[in-house]
Amino acid sequence: MKLHGIGVGSMVYGVGYGFARPDFATAEVEAAADGSLTVWSGASELGQGLRTVLCQIAAQEFGTDYQDVRVVSADSEKTPDSGPVSASRSTYVQGNAVLQACRDLKEELRSLAAEMLKADPSTIEFSGGYVFSTTNPENSIAFHILTGQLHARGRRSHGFGWYDNHTEDVDKETSQGDAYSSFAWASQLAEIELDTETGEVTVLRIASATDVGKAINPKLVEGQIEGGAVQGLGFALLEDMKVERGVFKNSHFSTYILPTAADVPPIDPIIVEVPDPKGPYGAKGMAEPATIPTTPAILNAIADACGKWLKSTPAIPENILHLLGVLPDERKEALSIKDIPYPPF
Amino acid sequence: MSEFQKTISQAVRISQSTGPVGQSVVREDAVVKATGRAVYAADITRPDMLYGKVLLSTEAHALIKNIDTSAAKNIPGVHAVLTARDIPGENVYGIAVADQQVLAEKKVRFFGEPVALVAAETPEIAEAALKEIKVAYEPLEGVFNPIDALKEGAPKVHEAGNLLLHTRVRKGDYRIGFEQADVIVENLFRTHGQDHSPLEPESGVAWFDGDGILNIYSSSQYIFRDRKQVGRVLNIPINRIHSVNTTVGGGFGRKDDVTVEILVSLLAWATQKPVKLVYTRHESMLTQTHRHPTIVRIRSGATASGKLTALEAVVYGDTGAYASLGIYVIKKMALHIGGPYYYPHYKADSFSVYTNNPIAGAFRGFGILQAATVHEVQMDELARRLGMDPIEFRLQNCLREGLTFSTGQVMDQACGIAATLEELREYVKRHGLQFKKHPEHQEVER
Repeated sequence: MKLHGIGVGSMVYGVGYGFARPDFATAEVEAAADGSLTVWSGASELGQGLRTVLCQIAAQEFGTDYQDVRVVSADSEKTPDSGPVSASRSTYVQGNAVLQACRDLKEELRSLAAEMLKADPSTIEFSGGYVFSTTNPENSIAFHILTGQLHARGRRSHGFGWYDNHTEDVDKETSQGDAYSSFAWASQLAEIELDTETGEVTVLRIASATDVGKAINPKLVEGQIEGGAVQGLGFALLEDMKVERGVFKNSHFSTYILPTAADVPPIDPIIVEVPDPKGPYGAKGMAEPATIPTTPAILNAIADACGKWLKSTPAIPENILHLLGVLPDERKEALSIKDIPYPPF
Repeated sequence: MSEFQKTISQAVRISQSTGPVGQSVVREDAVVKATGRAVYAADITRPDMLYGKVLLSTEAHALIKNIDTSAAKNIPGVHAVLTARDIPGENVYGIAVADQQVLAEKKVRFFGEPVALVAAETPEIAEAALKEIKVAYEPLEGVFNPIDALKEGAPKVHEAGNLLLHTRVRKGDYRIGFEQADVIVENLFRTHGQDHSPLEPESGVAWFDGDGILNIYSSSQYIFRDRKQVGRVLNIPINRIHSVNTTVGGGFGRKDDVTVEILVSLLAWATQKPVKLVYTRHESMLTQTHRHPTIVRIRSGATASGKLTALEAVVYGDTGAYASLGIYVIKKMALHIGGPYYYPHYKADSFSVYTNNPIAGAFRGFGILQAATVHEVQMDELARRLGMDPIEFRLQNCLREGLTFSTGQVMDQACGIAATLEELREYVKRHGLQFKKHPEHQEVER
């Protein structure tokens, strides 16, 4: 018999390291004479698109085209130390460092533009490839002319940015305190079909509502949402890491089963934007939130279908058949609730 | 330029001209990656380059009585066979706690722990040399789950004991909270481990310049920490190490700590030649970090009107033989085991525990994938027992501006959980989906 079910999973994720761990990023930016921009960031591009996002941030700040920015990343003889790429912190922390480096350089550019335009520096704006005073926008300088003058006059063409995201540690005894500077939020819905004879669970669709604060690049956000759901689906249904007396038994791709395109259901990314005032343009971390709710959404969909919650992952067919009472559970060493007392208050 | 490349270049130009933040510009590395020109560490070759291989432990817990490398060293084409005693600096590293030996010295603590290194002129010779290294082990009793590991008299993975960290979260008084509850759901959960399986296994190339600068090109999430850790083991000042990140084929936390960087640098130092080290998939799975398996006992209470009153939980995280980031993963789990909901009373304990299992460390989710698996099943079961819609029950209890997290931290305006749930409520309606009724679940009349 085929049973059908839907289920929801939600999560909160403290972004960054917390607990007084170092959580900084450094960045530098240079405007060349021709108006092209170079950003130096020690952060690693892992395939997630961080370099693209950093380009977009710099282009936004200087009002130039995205293709006029180049990012040099993660080379200890070229770039400053920007901290690790982990904890869903990169757009947030490294993005903020790039933002600060750009704003540092903009001070110099703004002061030069004010001299050239005979305007108040506080009225100078950067937009659409031009620099102008808001009091007289008609009178503008092309960005590349301004940077040409910056070099011709021997002015500062480098900007430096440092962003510190660290928080104080929580109380040692009670863990009370401000644990994280920012939180990320996500909920997913899974629709599944469960075959009561084989125990196989097929995911029919996933809807992923992920709060990213501000999607700096919506397509990259969708990529994270889809990749995250697939990695979560792999954990929930396929990737049964079998360890016996310390030996990882299925440590080959022939026996450790990863999801392939054939396992991926339609995924509906729903980008939610509740801005974080401290994030660049309101952005929050979202790489981990994209994968976290998938497993609980699937487990709850299984319960919606058959009335029982699987409390021991993964939801591979034999465990589903145990759950349905079709097979006796001889899989794990006996462990009952009584073996695990709660520690004293 | 091929037609394909032209099409991509054109697509890039079109999307780039539309402007920056909030736009789906084509990623800056699209062309180089789509055309196969991105350079990964395994693609790098240097003149005179040697190939490194790592001998991994075949015991989960054992004393090393002797390592005989003489036969391996005599194979033509082998340039170096290294064991712990050859390390010029300190034989230790670790991302959060320096508890891990680069090469096992007196004992091995997990199946897959590096024991010896080989550099040879071809990968085949290096592989053959590995087979000639004779390690005499004296097996020790091992401990393979965190509950057993904390029992009195359990085999000790490390001298100081098997408990890495106990985290306590205490907010309000859970006893009062449970007295107010009309429904209490209590469960025991077990979550399994997971392999990150980045498409690109850990890899790196290292060599010394004529002026004594060590160059390391590797696939990493943080070259600056790698560099510090290499310096300590090779006894080289950090400013004489040049670390470069190559194109990375996925990390997911696996490449947060050092992977091959120290090992390949040791071989480059011993041979004074460039050395490349690329793990096979099998080696990577055995020796690198994984997702923490966890055991969680939890109870959560709510009133008949659907208001959460209290939570009590205890988490055991199996961090394997070395800490890696196991301190923080399991600490974070204690803070997040209640999920994105407001509990006036919250009591959670977590134990990060050493065992002789494969190492667990950072993995996309960082303990919160396991926490969410637990708290979301709890929420669903509570909703069903109360006869409430699962989404409405979550919306009724989720954190909002002004409410406090498990640590007492007050939520600010960036609290977005309700917005995500409202989107799903709309989605369910729009697609005509429905939660099934399971009358047998309902415990209280509303």
